Amino acid sequence: MAHILFNSLLVILLALPAVTLLASPFKALRHLSPALLMIGLVAGAVAAARSLCHPCLIASDLSSITPLPFALALDRLSAYFLLLICVVGAPVALFSFSYVERHYTGRRRDWLWALLPLFLLSMVVVVTASTAFAFLFGWELMTLFSAGLILIDGDDSQRRQKLFTYLLMMHAGAAAVVGAFFMFAPHAAGLDFASIRVAAGLMPAGVRTAVFLLAFIGFGTKAGIVPLHVWLPKAHPIAPSPVSALMSGVMLKTAIYGFVRFGFDFLGTGPAWWGYLVLAAGALSGVLGVLYALAEHDIKRLLAYSSVENIGVIYLGLGAALVFTANHAPGWAALALMGALLHSLNHALFKSLLFLGAGALADATHTLDIEELGGLFNRMRTTGTLLLIACCSIAGLPLFNGFVGEWLTFQSFLGGATLAASAPAIVLPLMAGVLALIGGLAAACFVNLYGVAFLGRPRSVEAGDAVEVPLAMRAGMALLAAACVVIGIAPAIILRPLSAIVQDLIPGASLPEGALSIARFVPWLAAMVIAIMLGVALVRRVTRLTATWACGSPALNSRMQYTSTAFTSPIRKVFAQAYRPDRTLSVEPAEQPYFPASISYHSIRTVHFEQALYRPAVNTIVAAANRLRKLQTGNIQVYLLYMFLALVLLLLFMRLA
Amino acid sequence: MTYALDVLQLLLLLAAAPLVRGVVSCLKARLQNRHGASVWRPYSELRKLFSKEDLVPPTASPVFRLAPVVLFAATVAAAAFVPALHGSALLGATGDFILLAYLLALGRFFLILGATDGGSPFGGMGASREALVSTLAEAPLLLGLTAVAIAAHTATIAGMVRWTLAQQFFHLSAVHALAFAALALVAIAETGRVPVDNPATHLELTMIHEAMVLEYSGPSLAWIEWAGAIKLSAMMALLIALFMPWGMPVSFSVAGLVVAPVVFALKMAAVAAGLALLESGMAKLRMYLVPDFLGMACALSILAVVFTAMMR
Repeated sequence: MAHILFNSLLVILLALPAVTLLASPFKALRHLSPALLMIGLVAGAVAAARSLCHPCLIASDLSSITPLPFALALDRLSAYFLLLICVVGAPVALFSFSYVERHYTGRRRDWLWALLPLFLLSMVVVVTASTAFAFLFGWELMTLFSAGLILIDGDDSQRRQKLFTYLLMMHAGAAAVVGAFFMFAPHAAGLDFASIRVAAGLMPAGVRTAVFLLAFIGFGTKAGIVPLHVWLPKAHPIAPSPVSALMSGVMLKTAIYGFVRFGFDFLGTGPAWWGYLVLAAGALSGVLGVLYALAEHDIKRLLAYSSVENIGVIYLGLGAALVFTANHAPGWAALALMGALLHSLNHALFKSLLFLGAGALADATHTLDIEELGGLFNRMRTTGTLLLIACCSIAGLPLFNGFVGEWLTFQSFLGGATLAASAPAIVLPLMAGVLALIGGLAAACFVNLYGVAFLGRPRSVEAGDAVEVPLAMRAGMALLAAACVVIGIAPAIILRPLSAIVQDLIPGASLPEGALSIARFVPWLAAMVIAIMLGVALVRRVTRLTATWACGSPALNSRMQYTSTAFTSPIRKVFAQAYRPDRTLSVEPAEQPYFPASISYHSIRTVHFEQALYRPAVNTIVAAANRLRKLQTGNIQVYLLYMFLALVLLLLFMRLA
Repeated sequence: MTYALDVLQLLLLLAAAPLVRGVVSCLKARLQNRHGASVWRPYSELRKLFSKEDLVPPTASPVFRLAPVVLFAATVAAAAFVPALHGSALLGATGDFILLAYLLALGRFFLILGATDGGSPFGGMGASREALVSTLAEAPLLLGLTAVAIAAHTATIAGMVRWTLAQQFFHLSAVHALAFAALALVAIAETGRVPVDNPATHLELTMIHEAMVLEYSGPSLAWIEWAGAIKLSAMMALLIALFMPWGMPVSFSVAGLVVAPVVFALKMAAVAAGLALLESGMAKLRMYLVPDFLGMACALSILAVVFTAMMR
């Protein structure tokens, strides 16, 4: 059953571009592609859920019919990430149903409906691949299809430059991933996952470390850990909103999948410093990501930086799990890994919801700058409610899904104190403080986003005239919001399959006692909170609408409200070290500073990773390229000489080797 | 039977919360050589507010009216984790102190949203300042509780209380002093008392919490005020339960049932007196010195965690 559903997902995704192009001339058939896409994704979700509960190994080996070792298989870990792709993909497809109709016509519309399924298919291939070839095939296509989807919105020079950064970094990361796979080649019978798993146990420690570091860098680039995150705030904002939702919500998670596959499935136990490295990367990404997000007032850039933060939280869990396995505490490792995997799913749900919400806001107000918004809740009740759920979830508040994942990670940090070695017993509990700081900053960031965009008075004419988005867009967002609430209130439904996955990955892991008590506990807490709220709501109150007192001046206007910049100003001041802003204030005329004719103030945050890290690297590469260019004389005799010399060197090398 | 006691102590915390506030302000007045209002005044204030009408700005959204409700419900749920009369509370599970901290955060999240919904500059000002204080208070709060949890080898509040009960007062380590200091500083910041915030001011330059609730009136304001009082009492009771629980009955007995409320009331009165003394003796810190204050709490809690982990 699951086998058929999974294959139908693959077939539908593969056939959709052709269907789109064939159906494009007929107006009556324009809903065909979105409908088929949703059917395929629902089938995929059912297949994933079934094979998550009843592990039956679904495998499609295409190497017999193709000359290439292309094979897919669905074990528990793959099924979990397949579920993630389909559960997020289906609502995004539903949302796009209206969104694409309203924003794209003709060729661009066809391209979008052709590339979207292929992008999803490439991600499905990545998480279900069972050979290195299939994995890398999907991995490369994922980058290319997402780049194609970004180009649908236009290709002016600025966008091209951003896209170039994206492609460059993705390929650098892919090179590391390829390297990580090829390190296995001399030791493994073949590059299928089963042989790799066997070989990994037999390899010398140095090679294992090299594999780990290559995987850390390769997948870290895709996931966007600091300082490899620079592509994220460039690439996400320029993509169409449903594509941003998939890129941020789902594509980043394929990197988490890859890292878990390498770190836990292939390599298993490693030295403790692997874990500390991952913890450090997670802490740095978490804190800096959320600090940068706080300083943004373009919704999509804010969300992109917040993805960096959430990837940091996931890496904190992964790092803790690695430290625990190195210290022979499989139970706690399993708990930490559960936290990381659950936060991956949670982040996929609420981040894609937020990106869809950004699309809805742009649809209604034609701007993504929250300083131009305000008071939207009264004009877009449904969108407002759904995004309130998303903001509560991403802020990690209890009764929403974000909290459950963070709670598991917190628990595992506490478990660090039970270890015999003193280094992890000190470091891991302190990480609880880092996680709390990240949580606090994230709450401030999203209370700011929601408060400025949806509450108060409209700050522009567009915000004041906004109307609610069409039903399909609201329905897509509602599905994601419902998933956030369900996992938040009844986490047992996801915790049980998750504990099965981590027990597959970490042998001998029995979860610490009481570790999942939250699953039994939270529904009651939710019932209690809701009961109190209903009780409070029943108390009689007489409401009168009346204008806010304006301290005697005629009336308040929207210019008097706190802006996003003003709201976050105290936090930015406290963490000024992380921003190092460049401020320029010019007062005209300069000799009369107290009676200026005009004041202009400009503040940009120095992106010091780009200046300190990337600028020198780029300069070095350019300098090296310039030097190498001297070889290229344009003279054909010289080129023949090069070829001859290369041949001689090769022969000498073969002779000596 | 213990279940009834759990419910009883929660109801006591809820009902006595305004009294604690009244006692603190009465003691403060006496310390400042004023006669001061009656200790029961917070109750009459609540009654007055409940009988008034709710004024809502026409631009406000339903979030404005939802915020006090969520704040009150989340604060009551948080208070249900706090043991007062005996060694456990109505709610409790592994890792419950994290839930307690985050339930307070849930209430605050909605109050900040409500404040920005008023559409006046004051609400935004208070919201922005509250966001700063609460962001910085989160880490020391959880680290301080973590230190105690590590020392007690348990991740439940009830377990920590039982462990401390089993210790001799003079056998407690310096870790306890560090964790207590950190949590006391955080409690001051969380409940908006001097020197972080002044609950008795309406001056733009200094107010945090009062600026946030400026647009609220009538029953909405009453729920907010009551929730604030519950939060103060719950934080005081939590500090008492974690660091000076002696006198709490270990097992159920009639004598314990009579003695426990008296002992609890005395301890609360002592903490209230300490708070009044502190508030009378100190000036409110400048806004941008608050991060230093919380940085101190953070440093203390980090030391507490490091020392407990080293001394296991």
